[in-house]
Amino acid sequence: MLNGIPLEHFVIVSAVLFSAGLFSVLSRKNAIMILIGIELMINAGILNLVVFGAFDKQKNEGQVFALFAIVLAAAGVAVALAIILNVYRQFKTVEPNQVEEMKY
Amino acid sequence: MQVESIKLIETQHITTVIGAALGALLLPLLSFLIIGFIKPRKSDWLSIFFSFVSFLLSVYCFINTWNSEIHHFTWQWLNTGVIKLNAGIKIDNLSSLMLVLVTLITTLVLIYSTEYMKGEKYYNRYFAHLSLFMFSMLGVVLADSLLLIYIFWELVGFSSYLLIGFWFDRDSAAAANKKAFIVNRIGDIAFFVGIMILFTQFRTLDLSALFGTAGKAGLIQQSVVENGMWKFVDVFGQAKTLDSWMLTAAGLCIFAGAVAKSAQFPLHVWLPDAMEGPTSVSSLIHAATMVAAGVYLTARVYPLFNPDALTVIASIGAFTAFMAATIALTQNDLKKVLAYSTISQLGFMIAALGIGAWQAALFHLVTHAFFKCLLFLGAGSVIHQLHHVQHKHHLDFDPQDMRLMGGLRKQMPVTYLVLLVASLSLAGLPLFSGFLSKDLILIGAWSGEKPGSTIVAVLLSVTSALTAFYIFRMIFKVFWAENRLQKTVENIDVSVHESGKSMTIPMVVLAIFSLFAAFSINPLHGTHSWIYEGLIVPLNSFSPKIQYMEFAESWVPIITVVLAVAMILVARFAYYKQKMTFLSKQSFLYKFSYNAWYFDKLYNSVIVKSVVLLANSIRWFDTNIVDGFVNGTASVVQSLSAIVDWIDRNIVDGFVNGIAALAGRLGNLIRGFQTGRVQQYMALGVFGLILIIVLSYIF
Repeated sequence: MLNGIPLEHFVIVSAVLFSAGLFSVLSRKNAIMILIGIELMINAGILNLVVFGAFDKQKNEGQVFALFAIVLAAAGVAVALAIILNVYRQFKTVEPNQVEEMKY
Repeated sequence: MQVESIKLIETQHITTVIGAALGALLLPLLSFLIIGFIKPRKSDWLSIFFSFVSFLLSVYCFINTWNSEIHHFTWQWLNTGVIKLNAGIKIDNLSSLMLVLVTLITTLVLIYSTEYMKGEKYYNRYFAHLSLFMFSMLGVVLADSLLLIYIFWELVGFSSYLLIGFWFDRDSAAAANKKAFIVNRIGDIAFFVGIMILFTQFRTLDLSALFGTAGKAGLIQQSVVENGMWKFVDVFGQAKTLDSWMLTAAGLCIFAGAVAKSAQFPLHVWLPDAMEGPTSVSSLIHAATMVAAGVYLTARVYPLFNPDALTVIASIGAFTAFMAATIALTQNDLKKVLAYSTISQLGFMIAALGIGAWQAALFHLVTHAFFKCLLFLGAGSVIHQLHHVQHKHHLDFDPQDMRLMGGLRKQMPVTYLVLLVASLSLAGLPLFSGFLSKDLILIGAWSGEKPGSTIVAVLLSVTSALTAFYIFRMIFKVFWAENRLQKTVENIDVSVHESGKSMTIPMVVLAIFSLFAAFSINPLHGTHSWIYEGLIVPLNSFSPKIQYMEFAESWVPIITVVLAVAMILVARFAYYKQKMTFLSKQSFLYKFSYNAWYFDKLYNSVIVKSVVLLANSIRWFDTNIVDGFVNGTASVVQSLSAIVDWIDRNIVDGFVNGIAALAGRLGNLIRGFQTGRVQQYMALGVFGLILIIVLSYIF
């Protein structure tokens, strides 16, 4: 049902995807890049949902959740971009390291 | 005079007589207050006026009460439920007689003082103090309860303290008034103990209730002594029984108060020293009034004395009379002679009370008040004039020393005459008042039936002869022979002149009262004198009334007079003609007498020194033991608190500060994580998650 491709491959792809996203989140200076990293991580999660949803034949819950997650990711991106926009207006930068107002 | 004919008036309202008595009592106080607070310019005449009005009121009281009525005004003073104390005024024959006596003599002395004290720095204060004294003395006389008597008694002591120390800038006067006050305090304490004995047992201090009045027996007269037990009923009707020695103790305690005030042995030492006061003060308080208060008190509480107490009283009186007379023989100070004479005569009165000659004692009190006051005033007159001479010529001599006097009779004829009258009265020659009263005492003494009463009688008779000697020694030394002061200063005229009218007139008035006529029609026998008949002996249920013996009545006066005349002649021979000397000044008897039987030295070495030693040891105890204990406690507490302080600073504060420091460091440590870098937070979160997962796999 996975067209002969074993489940492990999917999981590995997903893990690689997630790790790449995480790396991006932790290492990028630009807030946009961090946002892209977050998107990668969400999509890794959605991929897992779809893959594991294949074993749930009756109700297609995995795919439904995947759809939800996509919608939520889109909403998250919208909110995050709004935040980034506001941060830029406030601090004239989109680098999180430059925005240290909340430390201590 | 029959007892039954006297009407007793108990009242709660102020009747005319009571009002007059209150006026007589309070006017001197008013005078004292006015002089003290308003300070009028004519304070002398103000006080004389007030005391004269007081005298007139007293005469009014006297006329209305003598042998007719007893007025007793009471008013509840203190009510604590169980204890009820009344205050009031009681006027019977004795009170009204004393009232007139005190006010008359005080008025005369005040008039005398206007000249005697002229130019004194504290002239106004003198009159204020004398008025206060008069008030307290009248209070003693009028009081109707022992407590009230005690209060005024203390006031008398206090005002005499002020008067004796009138010249307080002299050390000797300051010492004398302290001595008088302290010696009197000793008696006062005993007096108060006596009052307390009576009060705890009888629950009342009212004189009438305790000692009866107008023929009615009081609680003490109703009590009996059976088998060594004293049985009595208190004021609430409750029967009680005590050992009979309590009766003796109560009597002797109250008598001890009289011993101090009336300067009896062993508390007589204050009176000679009290001569440091002005002579006019001495004449009033040390002859006529204050010292008479002791005799008055003893007479008032007379029913309290059982035979034991009376024996003690008679012995003390007779001994004092004899002792003081022997001391008076050798004194060179004019006032000291009179001081010891006063002690001696008071001894006569006390002895008379002790042997039961109650009327004679009070009769002698009255006659003695006049002639002894006169003696002092006369002496004051002499001293005053010599003082003037001393001042005028800037001489340095003692104006009271009889060795420097002599031949003054022509220069001061009035003073000489009145002093002669007073001396004859004191010596007890017929036609003079002293004869009447003193011979009654002697007759009473010789009529005594108790064993030992002969000793009292012999002592009193010898004293009587000695009295005639020492007083005429004074007369001859002062007024006869030649002026010895003139010998010491050759070039200066030291002749004196007679004192002014305001001094001589009071003396003449007193001289009239020193004659027999003021007291009795019969100059040779005193039992029919109006005072003797008017003073009714209070019933003493423990001791029978004295009966005069025929033998004594006829022989004693004759022998006494013969002895007195002989003594006067001897004195004339020795001190006017100067052909006789008795004891050399080195002989023991002379020194013994001159130094007043060494009583002062004895008291100084035995009592004063031991008291000072005690005081010093107590001070040592106080500074070393008590203070040491207190200081020791303080230092222990100090070191304890130092420890607590250390604990507080280091342990408690350390703990608190330690926690604070820990929290601070922890906060500082954790603060470091709050970098504000979102990616760092994220990284930490991821690594933490990984760590948790790894750890959960391992364990």
